[in-house]
Amino acid sequence: MTGLGAERWAAIALFAAAAVTPLVVRDTYILDSVILILLWGALSAAWNIAGGYAGQVSLGHAAFFGIGAYAAALMSARYGRSPWLGLAAGVLLSLGAGAMIGYLSNRLRGPYFALSTIAFAEVLKIVASRWRGFTAGSEGVPVPFRPGFWTLGLSHVAWLYLVLVVALLAYGLQVYLERSRVGYQLAGVREDEDAAEALGIATRRRKVQAVVVSAALTSACGSMWAQYVGFVDPSHVFSIDLSVRFALNAIIGGMGTALGPFVGSVFITSLETYLRSISSWFSGVGTGFTGIYLIIYGVVLILIVRFAPEGMIGIAARLFARRARAHA
Amino acid sequence: MDPAARLGPAQIDVLAQLAVSTVLLGGIYALIAVGLTLIFGIMRVVNFAHGEFLMLGMYLAFFAFTLRGIDPYLLLVVAIPIFFAVGLLVYALIMKGVIHASHNVQIFTTVGLSTALQNVALVLWSGDFHVFRPWESSVVLRMAGTAFNLSQVIAFAVAVALTVALIALMKWTHTGRVMRATAQDRDAATLMGIDTDRVYRLTFAIGIACVGAAGVLVSPLYAAYPQAGLQFVTLAYVIVVLGGLGDMAGAMLGSLIVAAVEVAGSYIIGAAWKEVFYFLLFIGVLVFRPAGIFGQRGAETLGV
Repeated sequence: MTGLGAERWAAIALFAAAAVTPLVVRDTYILDSVILILLWGALSAAWNIAGGYAGQVSLGHAAFFGIGAYAAALMSARYGRSPWLGLAAGVLLSLGAGAMIGYLSNRLRGPYFALSTIAFAEVLKIVASRWRGFTAGSEGVPVPFRPGFWTLGLSHVAWLYLVLVVALLAYGLQVYLERSRVGYQLAGVREDEDAAEALGIATRRRKVQAVVVSAALTSACGSMWAQYVGFVDPSHVFSIDLSVRFALNAIIGGMGTALGPFVGSVFITSLETYLRSISSWFSGVGTGFTGIYLIIYGVVLILIVRFAPEGMIGIAARLFARRARAHA
Repeated sequence: MDPAARLGPAQIDVLAQLAVSTVLLGGIYALIAVGLTLIFGIMRVVNFAHGEFLMLGMYLAFFAFTLRGIDPYLLLVVAIPIFFAVGLLVYALIMKGVIHASHNVQIFTTVGLSTALQNVALVLWSGDFHVFRPWESSVVLRMAGTAFNLSQVIAFAVAVALTVALIALMKWTHTGRVMRATAQDRDAATLMGIDTDRVYRLTFAIGIACVGAAGVLVSPLYAAYPQAGLQFVTLAYVIVVLGGLGDMAGAMLGSLIVAAVEVAGSYIIGAAWKEVFYFLLFIGVLVFRPAGIFGQRGAETLGV
């Protein structure tokens, strides 16, 4: 259990480091990086609840992200109401959508489930880009910046703490899944569904619950992302690239581990912000640089699933175990 | 692009035109889908990077035409071996190591490949649309109240010829029998002395050659850009699931159904919403008939 204890300490260190960052630096570039690391980490943690803990590997989580992003953006831009209301509406919609996808997962396994989730996100993407009267179509929705907590027009420091709370919530949910009865049942479903069912576990209900919780959290993060970034467009918020990215952080860090998504996010998000900052030095080759970090994503993904499918947490746990054995 | 819209108000018999458009489109979709279903049927891997090889085929045709003036249909003679070799290479470098791995590993390996290839194209050739028009695209054929251009007809004819050749290969040659045996039972095939690794290598290379050829064939009809494969491959998923994953005859029928939905949908409701139709069709099939129209019931829950 040394590995597990070490993981908790690493998590505490990571979140504590994030919490003290604004006390030490005021540089918006660094604050922005930390905010994005936490937000992408929370999103990957949400994916991990369905994909890692319950084994419902989705490639369409952008659907829930997009629902949340559009709900918040439209609520503030179109109706002039608080984006918090939009966030709540998005979560409700995603609960429904998650239940639908979760129902599909009861009938489909493996690649069939992944394919159906892609299709679901694509349908929403098309609707969002064609329903001009409501969503403004493929031009996207600019989100107005109105300072204040109720309107989610926050300073970088305030954003950081808000996103930290969300990240802790996502982390806590995962820890709960590692310790609780429900979590063990999900692990049973993931490892051998038929055996789990034979033991009397309500496998169908557990799978749907996992997908629904995951969807709601993804949607809430999507709403925050929309307010933070200030612009929502259908070809991004519903894209497969985004769905892959949620999975990517979790896989690199370690699928089915609580800290994994955050560790993955530290690496991938820093890499991205770093390469972005380089690309602004070389103006004129901007698209090239966007492409380069995505090429790196793809290659890293292939290498990780091939050579270290348990992710960085898994590698660390193995090293710890070896050292513990050497000491014994 | 809907051919009827491009031609304007000539004397066109709408129903006949829709039927011909369906068949022409269906033939091309079949070639894309057949490679995907072959790889799935034999290797049990959904190739999420399938569309990217189509995109590479489109770029190959574009550059061969604009830089060297090579006709895309002549290019096929070179393009098919090139993509066969690309398939062998990708198999050796990437697929070989994950063929016995879990679904998750396989899914994310091909997803990673897809992301990497798309962005290699973005870095090398930018996100712009690359369009070219060989002389065949300007020749309009009119027959029995219908009109279409020569590019569509050639693409259709070649696609159907390649698909039929592939089905014949699977059915009547020794190689085909060996491939089918491996598909039916990997372990039994190994025990019978079949070199399954060789079968997988060949399968993957043939599948990639098919989709690469399809890319060259559609290049005069659609613009090449880094995400160009996506629109076709999502269609191919729909087709392949409709026909039953791994079922080649099913894929051909699935192609016709999807083409019909697309053509009729664009005509009745408008091209903007046509994708919604086949995705709804897709989700409907997944919910009600997940093993495909002719598929064995229950295949989808095995997660094969």
